[in-house]
Amino acid sequence: MNRLLALGTLGLLAALGIAGYRQAHPAWGRYQPGPAAVRSVTPSLSGEPELCLTCHEGIEEISPSHPVEAFGCVSCHGGERLSLDVDGAHTTLIGGKNPSDLAVVEAGCGGGDCHSGDPAEERDHIARVQRSVQSTYAGAINGVLTSFNLQHPGDPVYGLQAVADGHIESGTGVAALTAFEAGAFDSPVPEQFAAACLTCHLGAEPIEAEFYYRGTGCAACHTPYGQDGLYTGGDPTLPRDEAGHMSQHRLTLEMPYTQCNHCHNRGNYNLVRMDFLPRDDAASFASLPTDQRRPLEYYQPIGQFTLCEWELDCIDCHTNKEAMGDGDIHTSQADAQSVQCKTCHGTLTEGPPLVTVTEADAAALRRADLNPNYSLAAGDVAVLAPDGDIMGAVQLIDGQVVQFAKARSQVWAVPPVQGSACEQQPDQQESRYCHECHDYDSHAH
Amino acid sequence: MSRRPSFYEHLHPPTVPDRESRLSYTFGLGGITALSFVVLVVTGMLEMFLYIPTPDLAYDSLQQLIYQAPFGWLVRNMHFWAAQGMVISATLHMARVVFSGGYKRRRFNWLIGLSLLTLTLLADFTGYVLRWDERAGWALTVGTNLLPLVPLLGDWLHAAVTGVAQGELALGPSTLIRFYAWHIFGLILPLFALLVWHLFRWRRDGGISSRGDAPRRRAIAADTGTAPPRKRRERSDLIREEVFTALAALALLVVFSVVFPAPLGTRLDASPAGAHTHAPWILLWVQELLRVWSPGLAGVFVPLALTALLGLLPYVLDRRNGGVAVWFNREGRAAQVVFTGAALAVVGLSLRAALR
Repeated sequence: MNRLLALGTLGLLAALGIAGYRQAHPAWGRYQPGPAAVRSVTPSLSGEPELCLTCHEGIEEISPSHPVEAFGCVSCHGGERLSLDVDGAHTTLIGGKNPSDLAVVEAGCGGGDCHSGDPAEERDHIARVQRSVQSTYAGAINGVLTSFNLQHPGDPVYGLQAVADGHIESGTGVAALTAFEAGAFDSPVPEQFAAACLTCHLGAEPIEAEFYYRGTGCAACHTPYGQDGLYTGGDPTLPRDEAGHMSQHRLTLEMPYTQCNHCHNRGNYNLVRMDFLPRDDAASFASLPTDQRRPLEYYQPIGQFTLCEWELDCIDCHTNKEAMGDGDIHTSQADAQSVQCKTCHGTLTEGPPLVTVTEADAAALRRADLNPNYSLAAGDVAVLAPDGDIMGAVQLIDGQVVQFAKARSQVWAVPPVQGSACEQQPDQQESRYCHECHDYDSHAH
Repeated sequence: MSRRPSFYEHLHPPTVPDRESRLSYTFGLGGITALSFVVLVVTGMLEMFLYIPTPDLAYDSLQQLIYQAPFGWLVRNMHFWAAQGMVISATLHMARVVFSGGYKRRRFNWLIGLSLLTLTLLADFTGYVLRWDERAGWALTVGTNLLPLVPLLGDWLHAAVTGVAQGELALGPSTLIRFYAWHIFGLILPLFALLVWHLFRWRRDGGISSRGDAPRRRAIAADTGTAPPRKRRERSDLIREEVFTALAALALLVVFSVVFPAPLGTRLDASPAGAHTHAPWILLWVQELLRVWSPGLAGVFVPLALTALLGLLPYVLDRRNGGVAVWFNREGRAAQVVFTGAALAVVGLSLRAALR
């Protein structure tokens, strides 16, 4: 019988031994190189401790403007700040892995002190983006409906989500969009369109394939994704061999063309078949090193592009308002576009529109501050885009218009049309006329 | 040299009935229930050092207990699983007493036992609320809205556990501190007193009831002049078995607590409104009834009626003393059938609610 007691004692000791092992080797300890230790951060903005870095130690700081000492993780991501259990910590995350998804962006990035701020200061990023054509997809939707005679003057104008704008500033802005419902039409076309073509707006989950990997919402542009969709940063919890992750946990204003190309330049739509036809020339550049891919990868082998369009990144020409919206609701891509060749190069009769930057141009100064590749200060002279955006990276320096690359460190002198051999007609000032003479065959080079 | 018996040995008579003192008869259920209580008191005291009973800090302090206090997770998991184990073992202990006629000739102790079960369930519920997660919020909202419907005492009960006016949301500091106080003192001190009384009466009644007490045996003794011998054994044997069972149960509890963390929902203020929610498992059957019956009927009358039915069981359904320690004795058939029916109803409704 005493053996029974010995057995019971041994059993209890063994159980306590297991508990002791668990205490020394908690589940979250596998993300730490050394002995398991809780890592607590108390961000100054909330004053509440967060244990997230216990597992995520090594993750990149999202951006210099969101230092972890001030923001921590929870103010953007939500989640349970004191839990070290995978489910317990992440159940209440804002938007899962992406708090900038448009469905949750107001909670993740919003607030009057953040990105739902004063329109006059251009701090209303969220409202602008949600009205932009990249988000509403209004251009494609209404274009298709009109093409198939399903929309007539006076009918509602559609967007992926219903949005309204009480303050129209541009000539092409509309007051509101009605939510597009593909099944609400007396035609199969809108449903075919919805099935084949609704993967490229900011709210849509991306196609899970090479080149297409991207985030949604703000992250679609501002968080870098590799073409292979693999994570290359330092967060020990993220798998390195699983496609579909950001390449780094970063927000950036230095988006290279490859970031835009997760959606753009990926193929063409065939409206007759209502089908998306992906470009099929990847084999021509897939094996090349990154620095040699640009001339083959940038644009599809269609259309005409000038040399500067190959050399510059998309964001060097396309302004903040073109990409993120100018606050108005537009119903076509063309209405949202502003910059032409002449914006920087001028015409035969006049130079580019220039403006002297003042302290009041806070948004332009802010964008320059956040981009390490160029600087802008009050008193500098910069190009003014037709949509009113100051193109801070295109400046007049010593009488010469100079373009600073935004996505990398490079500077070009912008050749003026005035005084050149250009033969353009006064009524042919749009970029397409420039392309006719200045078409650059990147493959030949 | 004879050794003077220890305090623990005094819990048993010098000799105990051989058959009825075996694990195969008792399943150790009463002992496991008492052991669970001891574990709960010890782990509960440890939790009191870290738990902060205010709405702002309760959930935070619980997370700190789990993830930052050394072995805090083990303490909490053991507290949780011992509590659920206590509810289960007390209920099974009750079933064993019903089916083996253990309540006969000591009926008042049945009432003490029933009171203990009631207090155990209330302690379980108040402990559930102290987690202050979103599920606790739901349980609290539903539970405190039922209280005013209790006849006579309703208004007083509502005030006693919430501290807010009826109809107000009871998710503030006055409610939390009351649940905390009820959990630790208001329920556990009476529970302890009743447990001592329960054990005292059990001991005074000669320890576990056995067939040795049966009228049939006394009748034989009256006829023949000698009672037929009942095999008894030294209490030291029983104590060794009890200690082993306790050690094994503790080991099981520790392992269980390592493998299965006690549940913790999302922060009360972060819970999505209108989320589908389950009641605490001990009240799932009531939740199921609440879907079809009025709150007064399903949430108040039925539980009170069930308690009353159980209380009356040895007084109304089986007043005879025959069949002590006889499994499924004929004399107690009505009591056994009614108990089984009630148990099946509760378990069936609970399963149905859980599987929704």
